[in-house]
Formats: sequence, structure tokens, C-alpha cells
Amino acid sequence: MQGMEGEMLKGHLDMIVLAALSAAGSAHGYAIIEEIKRRSGGAFDLPEGTIYPALHRLQQAGLLTSRWVTAESGRRRRVYALTRRGDRAFAERRKVWEQFSAAIGDLLGGAQPWHNPA
Amino acid sequence: MAQSGVISDYLDRLAGELAFDRPLARGVRQEVEDHLWEAVAEASASDMLEAQQRAVANFGDVRVIAAQFAIISLAKHSRRVGLAAILVIGGVFVAMKARLVWYAAVHWTMCDDLKAASEIVGAIDRYAFWLSVIIGLGGFAYINSGRTPLVMHREYRQQLRRFFLLCTAATAALVVVVISDGVLTALQLAGTELSVGFFVPVFSMAIEIACAGALVFHVRRVTQRTASTATLLKR
Repeated sequence: MQGMEGEMLKGHLDMIVLAALSAAGSAHGYAIIEEIKRRSGGAFDLPEGTIYPALHRLQQAGLLTSRWVTAESGRRRRVYALTRRGDRAFAERRKVWEQFSAAIGDLLGGAQPWHNPA
Repeated sequence: MAQSGVISDYLDRLAGELAFDRPLARGVRQEVEDHLWEAVAEASASDMLEAQQRAVANFGDVRVIAAQFAIISLAKHSRRVGLAAILVIGGVFVAMKARLVWYAAVHWTMCDDLKAASEIVGAIDRYAFWLSVIIGLGGFAYINSGRTPLVMHREYRQQLRRFFLLCTAATAALVVVVISDGVLTALQLAGTELSVGFFVPVFSMAIEIACAGALVFHVRRVTQRTASTATLLKR
């Protein structure tokens, strides 16, 4: 699958992160990125560092919670999870996205190729 | 695990770019360090150095990442200033009321010569206080009304500018309150014999001054932070 445009992805980054966390339960940054890559079939190819500001921003908005744990490697690791508010926000955004996606799908599916009369 | 030069250099640069918020820099450094080493461990490359270089390259430019964190940090501190303004105004109110309760308890009355001056200063005090309450609450509601954006766009910059104006106005009104309270306390204590009872009004005034000073400090600091964030985003 062809890589999506960076700007288009950035516009939906919050929803992508929420979706990955909703699927994974709780996860650290690296695991979230891997989940996004896996579920999107590699289509979402953002610089990995972009995910972390998004995680912090979503936590600031009260949609995520985080805690520090010690990984098997002995390194400190920050693990994120959706809050109840985050769950609700994701469900709302998902609904809006599905409606939008269906509308665009109908529009593109029904569109006829344009012919220049000239 | 031995620190690689590639990863530690990258982490140092990232922490350096985030130096405007040291607790954030420490947390992000730890988080990114874990990420990069995990990426190296998962890499199929047999060459360790190449795997580290790839992990760093995939993570992205430190300046771009730092700029995104700068906006988050600025939003967090702006909200804290909004909350601090409310708490400080509350603190000043409690100190004011405690002083009045004390005057009533010890039956201290003001001499008649000073009452006219006291009424004028008291009116200034009241109006300035309610002005600071209204502006402070307005500022708090305003900064908490929107979400933190991904990039520092024009609307968000304007929102921050308006918020700082509100904060400055609320702080200025509060400074007027504290000065008026100082004058009222001096008028109240004038002509009263020095006693242990002076401690309560003097202490409550000290609290008011400390509260107003703390607010001025916070507003100034977040304004400086905004300037450093703007510099970071311009690069």
C-alpha cells in the first residue's frame, strides 16, 4: 500500500493513536507505533517521534493516562492507556469518521470521469 | 547496557532542545531512550551502529519533535497560570476576610479623622477586587476552552496573546487590591498601640503580598516561555 501523505496523517494523528490504544489496551510508545503500522498494513509511515507529542497532548486533554514501569530490559518505560473520557472521545470520532468515509466513498463511487467538451 | 554514542548524542540534543522545561526534558529523554533501544533490539541489521543510526533517523528531527513538545509545554503552563490566578485571588480574599474578622473580634475601630480616606480606598479596593475576580475567571475559562493544537497556528497564538492580556489585567487589579489593603491596614493600625494583636493584620498583609508576588512571577515566567517557544518554532 502506498504511504499516505504526511499532512493528511497529521490531521488524523489523534484518532490514529486513540484507535491503536483502544485495540492494544495499554501500551508504551514503541508498541503503539508498531500497532499502528501493523493495523494499517504499513500505510501510516510518520516519523516515529511525532507520536510522543501526540501522546502527551492527549494525556493533557484527559483522554489518556500514563504510568512509569520498569521494562524487562531494566529501562524505565511509560505506558499509556485510554481513560473513560478517551474511550468516549474515540467512539465519537470513529462515528464521525465512518459517516465521512461513507459519504466520500459514495461520492467517489458514483462519480463519472469528467470529459472536457472542447 | 553500554550507552551508544549515536543514541546518547541524539538524546542529549533532544534534551538540550527541551531545556525550556526540565521535568519534561527528563521524562521525554527516558521515554525516547526506551524507544530507541527497543528499535535497535528489534532491528534485523547485524551491524549495531547501523541499527542505531536507523533508529535515530526513523525517530525524526529533534527540532521538529522539540517544537511540538514546546507547544504542549506552553499550553500546560498557561493553564497553570490561569489556575494560579484563581487560587491567588482566593488567597487574597481569605486574608482580607480574616483581617476584618480579627478587627471585629478585638473591637478595633478606626479614628474618625481617617474614616473618609478609608472609605475612598475601600471603594477602590472593592472594585479592583471584583475586577480581578471577573478577569481572572474569564481568563481561566478562556485558556481551558480550546484543545492544544498540533502546530502553533495563528488562532492559537492569538488565543495565548489574549489570555496573557487577561492575566496581566487580573494581576494588575490584584496588585491594586494589595496596595489598597496595605493602605487600609495602615489606617486601621494608625493610632493603635503596638501589641501582639498587630501580628494578625501584618501577617495577613504578608500573605497578600506573597500571593500577588507569586502571580506576577508566574505570569512573567510564562510570558518568557512563550518568547522562547516562539524562537524555537522560528528556527
